Amino acid sequence: MAAANTTTQDTMRLPAEQLYLQEIEALKKEDKGVIPPGWQMSPRAVLTYITGGKAGKLDITPKYIGNRRLVEMAIATLVTDRALLLIGEPGTAKSWLSENLSAAVSGNSGLVVQGTAGTSEEQVRYSWNYAMLLANGPTPEALVRSPIMRAMESGSVARFEEISRCASEVQDALISILSEKTVSVPELGSETSARKGFSIIATANTRDRGVNEMSAALKRRFNIIVLPAPSDLETELSIVKKRVGEIAASYQLQASPPADEALLKVVTIFRELRSGMTLDRKEKLKSPGGVISTAEAISLLTNSMALAASFGSGEMTDADLAAGLQGAIVKDDDKDKLVWKEYLDNVMKKRGSEWRGLYQACREMNE
Amino acid sequence: MKTAVDVQVSVFGVRHLSPGGARHLLEYLDRVRPTAVLIEGPSDATERIGDLVHPSTVPPVAVLAFTNEMPVRTALWPFAVYSPELQAMRWANKNGALCELIDLPSGAALALQDRRRRSLEERGVRREVPSAEESEADGGEPTRREAPEAPGSSAAAGAAPGAEQAAEPAGGGSTGIGSGPAGEPASPLPGGLPASDEPSAMEPEGAEELEATHASRSVYERIAELADEHDYETYWERHYEHNPNPDAYRDSILAFSAEMREMGEERERADQPEEHAYNHVREAYMRRQILKVIEAGHDPAKIVVVCGAYHAAALERPAEGAMTDAELAAMPTRSSKLTLMPYSYYRLSSLSGYGAGNHAPHYYQMMWELMDAGRLEELPRLYLSTAARTLRAAGTHRSTAEVIEAVRLAEGLASLHGGSAPTLLELRDAAQTLLGRGELSVVAEALARVDIGTDIGSLAEGVSQTPLQDDLNRELKRLKLTKYKTAVANDLSLDLRENRRVSSQEAAYLDLNRSFLFHQLELLEIPFVRSKPSSADRAIWAEDWIIQWTPEAEIRVVESTLLGETIELACAYKLREKLEACTSLAEASELIGISVRCGMTAQMEDGRRVLQGLAADSRDVAQIARAAEKLSGIVAYGDIRRADTTPLVPLLEQLFFRGSLYLCDAANCNDEAAYGMIAAMSDLNKIAQEHDEVVDVPLWTRELGELSERDDRNPKLSGFACALLLERGEMSAEQCAAEVSRRLSPGIPSDLGAGWFEGLSMRNRYALLSRMSLWVQLNDYINSLDDEEFKRALVFLRRAFSTFSAHEKTMIAETLGELWGVNTEQAAEILTGDLKEEEDKMLDELNDFDFGDF
Repeated sequence: MAAANTTTQDTMRLPAEQLYLQEIEALKKEDKGVIPPGWQMSPRAVLTYITGGKAGKLDITPKYIGNRRLVEMAIATLVTDRALLLIGEPGTAKSWLSENLSAAVSGNSGLVVQGTAGTSEEQVRYSWNYAMLLANGPTPEALVRSPIMRAMESGSVARFEEISRCASEVQDALISILSEKTVSVPELGSETSARKGFSIIATANTRDRGVNEMSAALKRRFNIIVLPAPSDLETELSIVKKRVGEIAASYQLQASPPADEALLKVVTIFRELRSGMTLDRKEKLKSPGGVISTAEAISLLTNSMALAASFGSGEMTDADLAAGLQGAIVKDDDKDKLVWKEYLDNVMKKRGSEWRGLYQACREMNE
Repeated sequence: MKTAVDVQVSVFGVRHLSPGGARHLLEYLDRVRPTAVLIEGPSDATERIGDLVHPSTVPPVAVLAFTNEMPVRTALWPFAVYSPELQAMRWANKNGALCELIDLPSGAALALQDRRRRSLEERGVRREVPSAEESEADGGEPTRREAPEAPGSSAAAGAAPGAEQAAEPAGGGSTGIGSGPAGEPASPLPGGLPASDEPSAMEPEGAEELEATHASRSVYERIAELADEHDYETYWERHYEHNPNPDAYRDSILAFSAEMREMGEERERADQPEEHAYNHVREAYMRRQILKVIEAGHDPAKIVVVCGAYHAAALERPAEGAMTDAELAAMPTRSSKLTLMPYSYYRLSSLSGYGAGNHAPHYYQMMWELMDAGRLEELPRLYLSTAARTLRAAGTHRSTAEVIEAVRLAEGLASLHGGSAPTLLELRDAAQTLLGRGELSVVAEALARVDIGTDIGSLAEGVSQTPLQDDLNRELKRLKLTKYKTAVANDLSLDLRENRRVSSQEAAYLDLNRSFLFHQLELLEIPFVRSKPSSADRAIWAEDWIIQWTPEAEIRVVESTLLGETIELACAYKLREKLEACTSLAEASELIGISVRCGMTAQMEDGRRVLQGLAADSRDVAQIARAAEKLSGIVAYGDIRRADTTPLVPLLEQLFFRGSLYLCDAANCNDEAAYGMIAAMSDLNKIAQEHDEVVDVPLWTRELGELSERDDRNPKLSGFACALLLERGEMSAEQCAAEVSRRLSPGIPSDLGAGWFEGLSMRNRYALLSRMSLWVQLNDYINSLDDEEFKRALVFLRRAFSTFSAHEKTMIAETLGELWGVNTEQAAEILTGDLKEEEDKMLDELNDFDFGDF
């Protein structure tokens, strides 16, 4: 509602539709496909926006690297008016993909319900401005519409983050919205019907599945896409490299971006710990208790850059990296510490001179 | 050949397994109405066309060529109902047009195949033969093939993939099924591999044809990329199979073929001279065959040639470079035969190991059937609802609403690629998202069933099969087993006893005769049946089998034709061969067992002779006893199988006699060999009990007595002989007591005494336990030993008692306790109490015992 009164300069993080405004404009200009009602560009243009390509002379940066077919499935889902549920391990770019999809499809990624255990049904449907309600009784002016209701009115894509963290009865409020595509307001004797273009993209985390299992009735109303961890080292490397560069630029970190070698080391360590086995598949490893996702690798590297910029020379050193690794991997103190120590001594130590510096730094940190 | 040089015929290039190709080809034939349809495929199989188009022939079927001499080489040309070649044959048959196969005859193809392989080996190209085949087989899919076989693994193979198909239409993906044409992959079946190992190669030529080396493979990848498709297979399906425009299919394949040849031919000549030469020879031969048909009076304009896409551009002008008579005469050839065999979709699909097929034959069959009915647009609905039905049948409920959404999603995906209809890839993605709720694992099995299916083909009765195939089918029919000839594994339990509730002899022994057949198949290593162990209480009269038909089994049947004209003759040959090669008693007695299980009395007699000959020279009691034990089982239970085992009785007698006679000699052995001897003595003793009316029991007891008394044989065996005598009641309590006191008297080295006792204690323990006098004697003996001797004896006694159960040990302790005046309760207390310190120390000291003398 008040998005307009903050200037873009001092926003910590721009929404996708502003961050990539230029690309979206270019795509719209060059779009030759059929634009579905309520959309701002054709499905093919959305695909190009997400997976990268060219719009006229402008290079479109890839937003989601990896499985292109999954992106196609997501877009085709939205074209057929179906709601989309993205599930996956933490850090597999579920929210990132959902934000960019809604930015491309409706030009607005801000209609979000951020699910928590405390989310109530009013936040999914509507609530009231109680002062006005008491003063004037139920009037349209006193109605506070939820982001989902606003999306229905404007025919755009609403997002529901972390849906499985909400209580089941709150989740179930979506069932009738998704099948009827209307929200009725009995107090006003009216109902809001969704305009064409309305859809919902929800995200859920597989690690939390046990918390609030989604009902079968709700699941049936979604097309479910499982986002995998990056399938190979190269894909993960390029994802990390790209995001670290973007984040560093937006925070104006005064450190040089990490060398490819450091990236390779971090991604290698993460992949090995995640899969419980060395990349050459020769050795089995223990995995730490926490999640070691691609997103963690990205934040680890930006943290290390921040450390280097603020307290060091601006060049990322092994010690900076080691501090980041320690924080990312050792979460549940005792056990993870042992896992990390075992990895250091059994795997990293034997990797030769290029790894020696990092190994020493990590060992000191883990003492 | 005097035909004009510029004569031109119509060529229709296809991919071997392509419903779209079949559809377009039929329309083209209807339009051109040719008088002759010439198809790429082994020319000697032309006479089988009648059988292939026979109304009761149900595809998938394959033409199998095999050399009729060792080593057997085979080549396969499989056809599905949607193979353009098969549809062309059916058209020609219906419209009275001449239909001929025009590729190299199978004998020449097999010979050239051998030659190519050899030449590759000489050049040191590292390709394993098998893989080559496989690859060839694959013909199809360029993309997927890369994985398994490294690039171009076999030259041929490598090439094939792309090639064929490629050639064919696009090749890549498809498969080269052999469309008949080229096939050549032979599988080398090294004499005896189970068929399964060798997939016969099916590659049709395609494979070879195309040189799909890495280079060309990457061409396919690039084509897919340019078309914005995920892989070549999807590109092919969308642009060829789904393309309804008349002529689009044929024209684009012709253009594709010409371009591919221009790009790839030179490289092939340099990189894979064998492949290049082979293709060259084939094309020359095909041109020659086309010219022959023209000379026979057919108007070239009314001749349609159906071939793999790669050859399309090379056959339009048959007069250029046709094979001459001299060249034909110089062509190498091997003597070979052809037969038809049922094939399976599972085999066609690349899941089965070699990729020569399309990966989703059942899907393509659905496509073909809907195309035929003019309702191709229903394919996504049919596919997804079939998948949902399969899921439901397996217990996973999915609603119709989800199927509807899945169809919409698949169509949405197709339109993202500008396609008119979803491809298989998109249907699978939609199924995963909606029916699997995001998880492939939920739908994987159902999709495999819908994609691949379990269909197998069948042939009209007696249709050009090998005599052995005919015989097997007759046997299956006679034994009411025809319904088990499916690709799905079935369990069958057989009761070998006579069924007295039925009237006819045949029915009464139905299960027994089935058992004979199954054992014969097992002997021939035909993987149609597998035996499963039966539970012990019914093992004598029951057998459990798993029956599953596979193309490998059929291939194996065909190969076995070299052994004999019927199953029985083939088995006889195989048994004879094995008997001739057999060198040990155990092997020979096993072969006798096999011949009885196969119901082959004559071979049992041969086996008996061989065993007898071997036995006459053997003094190895352990082996003799094992052989005798097997024979005794056969003699005892042979009548269950209605086998007359009387001829075996004298042999059993003789083996037993020899075993008894050499017992004492053989008992002069070390402790290690004594284990084998103990088993042998147990076996012989069992035979003496079971066949007491035929074998020489008095001799046996005499020899046992001798061994029991001898002091210079292995003491353990002497003790064991004594135990057997006691068990047989041939030794009285007094005799036993005397023997014990003799064996365990002071002065006898403790290892001998204790070793003897160990042998004695190996049988009828309860009798020993209850014999108080024995323990008195053992007690006295131990008391008489001095400390040093006691320690030595302890080692053996400990070993002797180690096989006793805890309960038995307690009984012994109580018996000894009574001797020492300790009552039962006190004994129990001592036994279960903790060790005292000094006892502990004594046991520790024993750890220092010097084993140096042993």
